[in-house]
Amino acid sequence: MANDAQTLSSAQVVWNGLFKENPIFGLMLGMCPTLAVTTTLQAALTMGGCVIFVLICSNLMISAMRRQLKPHLRILMFTLTIAVFVTIADQFLKAYQPEMSEYLGAYIPLIIVNCLIICRAEACASKQGLRISVIDGLAMGVGFTLSLSLLAGIREILASGKLLGMTVLPLAEDGGWFVPWAGMGFPVGAFVTLGLLLGLVVHLTRKAKG
Amino acid sequence: MLSKITVSHAPHIAKSYSTQSIMLDVILALCPAMLAGMWFFRHYAVVLLVACIGSCMLTEWACNWIRRKSNTLDDFSAIVTGILLAMSLPPALPFWAGIIGSVFAIAVGKMVFGGLGCNVFNPAMIGRAFLTASFGTLMTTWTVPAPLDAQMPALRPDSTVAVTQATPLAWSKEAIKGKAEPSVVVAQRGDAFIGRVGGCLGETSALAMLIGGVYLLIRGTISWHIPVSVLLAATICAAIGWLINPDRFVSPEVHILAGGMLMGVFFIATDPVTAPLTGKGMLIFGMGVGALTMLIRMVGEYPEGVMYAVLIMNAFTPLIDRFCKRIPAGGKGNG
Amino acid sequence: MANSIRLFVRESWLLIVSSFLFGLLLAVTDAAWSPRIVQNELNKFNKLAAALFGKEGTTFEPIEGISLNSSKGQPIPVDVRKAMLNGQCIGWAFMAEGSGFAGPIRLVVAADAGFEKILGFGTLVCNETPGFGDKIKIRGGFYEKQYQGAPVGPFALTKAGDPAAIDSTIVAITGATVTSDAVVAIFNRYAVAIQTQMKAKGLLSHGQ
Repeated sequence: MANDAQTLSSAQVVWNGLFKENPIFGLMLGMCPTLAVTTTLQAALTMGGCVIFVLICSNLMISAMRRQLKPHLRILMFTLTIAVFVTIADQFLKAYQPEMSEYLGAYIPLIIVNCLIICRAEACASKQGLRISVIDGLAMGVGFTLSLSLLAGIREILASGKLLGMTVLPLAEDGGWFVPWAGMGFPVGAFVTLGLLLGLVVHLTRKAKG
Repeated sequence: MLSKITVSHAPHIAKSYSTQSIMLDVILALCPAMLAGMWFFRHYAVVLLVACIGSCMLTEWACNWIRRKSNTLDDFSAIVTGILLAMSLPPALPFWAGIIGSVFAIAVGKMVFGGLGCNVFNPAMIGRAFLTASFGTLMTTWTVPAPLDAQMPALRPDSTVAVTQATPLAWSKEAIKGKAEPSVVVAQRGDAFIGRVGGCLGETSALAMLIGGVYLLIRGTISWHIPVSVLLAATICAAIGWLINPDRFVSPEVHILAGGMLMGVFFIATDPVTAPLTGKGMLIFGMGVGALTMLIRMVGEYPEGVMYAVLIMNAFTPLIDRFCKRIPAGGKGNG
Repeated sequence: MANSIRLFVRESWLLIVSSFLFGLLLAVTDAAWSPRIVQNELNKFNKLAAALFGKEGTTFEPIEGISLNSSKGQPIPVDVRKAMLNGQCIGWAFMAEGSGFAGPIRLVVAADAGFEKILGFGTLVCNETPGFGDKIKIRGGFYEKQYQGAPVGPFALTKAGDPAAIDSTIVAITGATVTSDAVVAIFNRYAVAIQTQMKAKGLLSHGQ
């Protein structure tokens, strides 16, 4: 984690956000949307985009006001800031992506309680300068989106044989060979895929460490 | 160093049972039902059994290899899981679906928890539950047993289009919804006893399951608590429904003979890993399984409920064990 | 007193100032996007309703003053629209809401020009169980088809019956009795009440 006195280079921050401290596979933060909105890749990308926007904006704002923060009021300030940008993101989706907004339903407003964002506010933005905070928000957001997309991609292909509306595996009912695993579209598919991916990541990182 | 000393899970009973011998007994007890399945469903049964047993063993080996653990294939538990899974599948299920179910059963149902003895849920039922969730249509396509259907080919790999038929339990469900007569099903009870009805591979022949179950009871591999309590609870629930409205509900003996009840009673609910340890606990567990099964069959949406009933009660096993603690030797004796 | 006010201001000035700024920001975005959001909802309603009438170029005019009695006293306004095609009234569409198995169900219901027959319904909001309850979404499907051409109501739900008969008994979707019942309840709550009020207002007198 980015500690108080630590000065981090931009490259380090990017590396941390994307891989070393990947929100899902490294920090295990924001599991609720991870399990809930990874039924299709499009939903995952929309969710990821919203999280990137909220993370960058809230990190920027909190970093800018970090010297004025009173310790006992800081969580209040974090939530206030996050809530504002989540509301904006929600409104934007409603205005320009009404179908996606309806599909994601309550999960967009629920970004407010996504612990990833408050974690970055607390661990990074309230301690680092503007530049590092924005890069951190971007890197963490992209890392989150990548993990979400990986999960959603696997689930969408197995549950429907399609990816973003394009046929990847020809379905048996259309003359192909693939019978969709409906179970992967259910919560059980989310838990199992996430668990297996986490196991794989832990296995590989342990191997890399020797 | 530690590997030289074998530490087995409690209870430490001074009997000559080992995991191996118990599993061998179970396999032996399943033989009549397997043979019956092969007689009634011919090559479907053979293909499914081979696919499930083979992929269960392969998955067990692969999981151990990945985790760098010593091989556990020789405790035969993977074979039992494979047989139980295959027996609980519809005969005409494609073999690849059987393989998916087996991999899921062993990898997710057992090995992620740390292998045999650590799993919370019955692996075979986990595999079946996943298949039910994923391939709803395939999992409810029932084939008519070969002796009833002249067109069903003998042991040949090229299958013709299978003739499908509603199972006795599917009929009962229709009857509950007012779309069929319960008497149709009740008339089938003799066929259900021998196995000349549609249904899962191993669960059509009540007779074969009964032989296996009695063998296990005589050998002492399973205790009487679970079978008796499940059957008792199920009979009571079915009888209540039948006495109240015989035009909607079928009689209790149909519920006992049809579907997966007997297989669940003798082979699945009695799984030593996922059932409670004490006699009292087993009785509570068994009554839960019986009542839930009948609740699902008579009130719920699915025609068959043994799988979900066992899985639900598996989840309660730790709690039951907590309330029915074994009193150590020198205590007041156990209940 | 003065001290405590000073303390309060010193501790929370940032909170107060930023709340105002954020409020301003939200007001600006809301002002910028709310017409679009309203338009989106309108578009969805129009698209669904137009599909129910099955005629290209149908336009909708809102009708004011139709409401439902509710148990809480305050009447609930209902969104009723007149469907117009080439200056002729071809029917009515209204929005109806009720609670289903998994959250609210919101429907767009179409009725003919005399408000005597239902032409069908479409779902605006429906989170019912996939494979079971969400079958109500299928336009012209087993469930929805039973309403096409049926009298305005009241409807009754049955588990066994002939779904092909167009009358006021609706056969439930197997495995989704709660959802089926919810839709029937929505119809029973809205359709007849709206019909009565529209008759009272003289909107239906000439079928125009």
